[in-house]
Amino acid sequence: MALLDVEDLQIAVAKGRVLLPVVQGVSFSVDADETLGIVGESGCGKSLTSLAIMGLLDGTAVRITGGTIRFDGMDLGALSPKERRAIMGNRMAMIFQEPMTSLNPVYRVGDQIVENLRQHRDLSKRAARDRAVELLDLVRIPDPGQRIDSFPHQMSGGQRQRVMIAMALSCDPKLLIADEPTTALDVTVQKEVLDLMADLQKRMGTAIVLISHDLGVIAETCDKVSVMYRGRVAEAAPTAELFARLAHPYTRGLLNSIPVVDHDVEWLEAIPGRVPTIDEQLTGCAFHPRCPLATDLCSQTAPDPLQIAPAHRVECHFAEKVVT
Amino acid sequence: MKLAAYIRSTFGGRKLATIGLIWLCLVALAAIFAPLLAPFDPYEIDPVARLSEPGLPYLFGTDHFGRDTFSRAIYGARMTVVIGAGSVIVALLTGGLIGMLSAYFPRLGAVLMRGIDVLMAFPALLLALVLITLLERSVVNTVLVIGIVYATTTARILFGMTLKLKGEVFVDAAICSGAGHGSILFRHILPNLISPLLVQASFIFAFAQLQAAALDFLGLGLPAEVASWGNMLSEERIYVTRAPWLLIYPGVLIILSVFSMNLVGDAMRDAIDPRFKDDIAGV
Amino acid sequence: MSDPLLQVRDLCTHFTTRQPGLRAVKKVIRAVDGISFDINPGEVLSLVGESGCGKSTVGRTLTRLEKSTSGSVLFEGREILDLSPGAFRPLRRDIQMIFQDPFASLNPRLTIAQTLGEPLFIHGLATSWAEANVKIAETLELVGMDPKIMTRHPHEFSGGQRQRIGIARVMILKPKLVIADEAVSALDVSIQAQVLNLIKRLQRDSGVAMLFISHDLGVVRHISDRVAVMLAGKIVEVGTKMQIFEDPAHAYTRKLLSAIPRVAQRAGAA
Repeated sequence: MALLDVEDLQIAVAKGRVLLPVVQGVSFSVDADETLGIVGESGCGKSLTSLAIMGLLDGTAVRITGGTIRFDGMDLGALSPKERRAIMGNRMAMIFQEPMTSLNPVYRVGDQIVENLRQHRDLSKRAARDRAVELLDLVRIPDPGQRIDSFPHQMSGGQRQRVMIAMALSCDPKLLIADEPTTALDVTVQKEVLDLMADLQKRMGTAIVLISHDLGVIAETCDKVSVMYRGRVAEAAPTAELFARLAHPYTRGLLNSIPVVDHDVEWLEAIPGRVPTIDEQLTGCAFHPRCPLATDLCSQTAPDPLQIAPAHRVECHFAEKVVT
Repeated sequence: MKLAAYIRSTFGGRKLATIGLIWLCLVALAAIFAPLLAPFDPYEIDPVARLSEPGLPYLFGTDHFGRDTFSRAIYGARMTVVIGAGSVIVALLTGGLIGMLSAYFPRLGAVLMRGIDVLMAFPALLLALVLITLLERSVVNTVLVIGIVYATTTARILFGMTLKLKGEVFVDAAICSGAGHGSILFRHILPNLISPLLVQASFIFAFAQLQAAALDFLGLGLPAEVASWGNMLSEERIYVTRAPWLLIYPGVLIILSVFSMNLVGDAMRDAIDPRFKDDIAGV
Repeated sequence: MSDPLLQVRDLCTHFTTRQPGLRAVKKVIRAVDGISFDINPGEVLSLVGESGCGKSTVGRTLTRLEKSTSGSVLFEGREILDLSPGAFRPLRRDIQMIFQDPFASLNPRLTIAQTLGEPLFIHGLATSWAEANVKIAETLELVGMDPKIMTRHPHEFSGGQRQRIGIARVMILKPKLVIADEAVSALDVSIQAQVLNLIKRLQRDSGVAMLFISHDLGVVRHISDRVAVMLAGKIVEVGTKMQIFEDPAHAYTRKLLSAIPRVAQRAGAA
């Protein structure tokens, strides 16, 4: 049984009196020791999905309107807030994109890790502090005994992100959700942080859900990938399979949009048009206005998920055509 | 029409604020049409009927000179409007300009804002008292003094906002286009300050009434014979036991007007277009 | 071979901050610490580096949004660093800048027409709104936008569209040098590709020279003729695109290139 099992998740945003669907039926699962990548651009709903899993949606302006999230066999929706809090930061942890705003600037770094530890574990202040130093060492912060008393602004972006990882891993979570963890970092620092995460996963067996808009990051770090577009999973497959046999026009378009470092391309094959805003409701496939293969069928009927290979699911009427 | 749309979006669904707005419109109408609405001349004396109770023909009764309180109340609306609008204009023009220019030209600002700091060290009423004793009692001087008092906070607020707007990327872009200082100040910065300025104006209007009333009460504001609600309180206070209506009517009018202005100001502040909310500094 | 359009020699931009406290220690940040490069007419030179290397400050110094500390910058053979603001103003027509944040670079209170018209009036390229509107319409079409949008306000448009408007504001003056400061960094990947294609096409068609500032080596490869790599306020390597990407000489350049995550295979053409 998978560690995390999301089934048909639906999330809506309240605008005035109307509920606008933002995530419209997303399903995926993650096993222990595995990394799932969720890739998509703004408006696809990937961040909201991660917040929903973690239980960070406020429930009024943004709320889950359908589907189930099962973690370690438990239905998260059925838990009381108290039970939920016992899991957050403990068996399930999250790291965010902007380490400066997710770390409290007026508290020392060590204090923030200790706070998390003592919330979930029965540790004395001394023991918690020692564990915090261990954790800083684990995330390769030099001189952890000293740095534990630093404030966030005294550290670089990469170091702050490592502190976030230390905090997230402090209680040995089974699942780590990383929402664009390296987007705000320089590329050399990004490499170090991603290597660190892979190393920690090997050591601790944590499952990771990595959310990113960067296909390169996803390709290098994830075991399997879900590509999201406008609130749905357009395509999902193991990483190698996905890049070898792309089946969705959006995935193809995304890949071709990236200017590559290794060779020259005269013109990028950009996807025309733009992502529709949440107010704009469409019939049929969400991608059809921008799709080179679109026909009338696409504008009328939303495609059902199609299994074109073991563990490879696509939502496109013309998936077969795209692959060949 | 843009004004109608603005009113609808700002006051729609806010009952209290709408009532406040209506009250203020009534005050404004009373001010404009005072000669037509007032049954008596506010200065006319009827010694026989002095201190008479509300009734006919003196709807609000008469004061110790025998002047019709109702007519004085209506003419008092004029003073309310004059003092309110006048103070707002003085405060925004002087304070607003000082704040804006101080933020835009830092070296000038270092000097000017220190001056503002000195003035702000005085409590508002005390400052008003100091200033008014230097000038003779008149309507213009009262407006001037109250305006200067509120120019200080206006300067501070606009200083902060201009400072933030100065650092906006679109200002950099305007500089790169070749825009000069004047262009940047009046095309790029000022339009983005209008909404917060309007909100500030509404609060100054309200507080100006209170300041004026306080000054009148102390006998230092408007000349004694001018019919203003504050003066009415001031002059008739010794008759509180014999003719309490002389204090109740102007008092209530002051309260209603200040309250209304505050409600309107709140509505305007809450209604600052959310799509601009992130773009407008400091609000 | 014509003379370089822009010649930068030993440019320094230092920021001094006073540390708060009794001792009032002055701290000097050497954002740009002695860099030199040339840009030829019609050429795209990219300035690439990680955060804090000073590349944005170079762009801002050239447009005089920051004050240079020392050095010399010759534009068409003329020294521009010590010009008075008034004397520099006419040159602003020739040296233009595209900004990074499409959501902050347009005045929310002005219509698109007003934003695009402003530079025309400032530089005397239009004396009436009738004239201006013609030029505005032309330029909007040039960047792939419908001229009818000129009566609307920025908030009605997406990030990619606003960036196109920002490009229109730059191109409407027909400048000789465009400084693009992380012009596509804030855009989604698919929109980035559109705007990048647009910039490339406009640059080719108009022959404008460009200083393209970016941290993204993939983008840099796509758009540049030559590349300069910056680290800690200095240029560590400069060369043609091929030299930098195929045969990097400096260790830092090699480190940058190897750190980029790559997709193992590229999808074949659809």
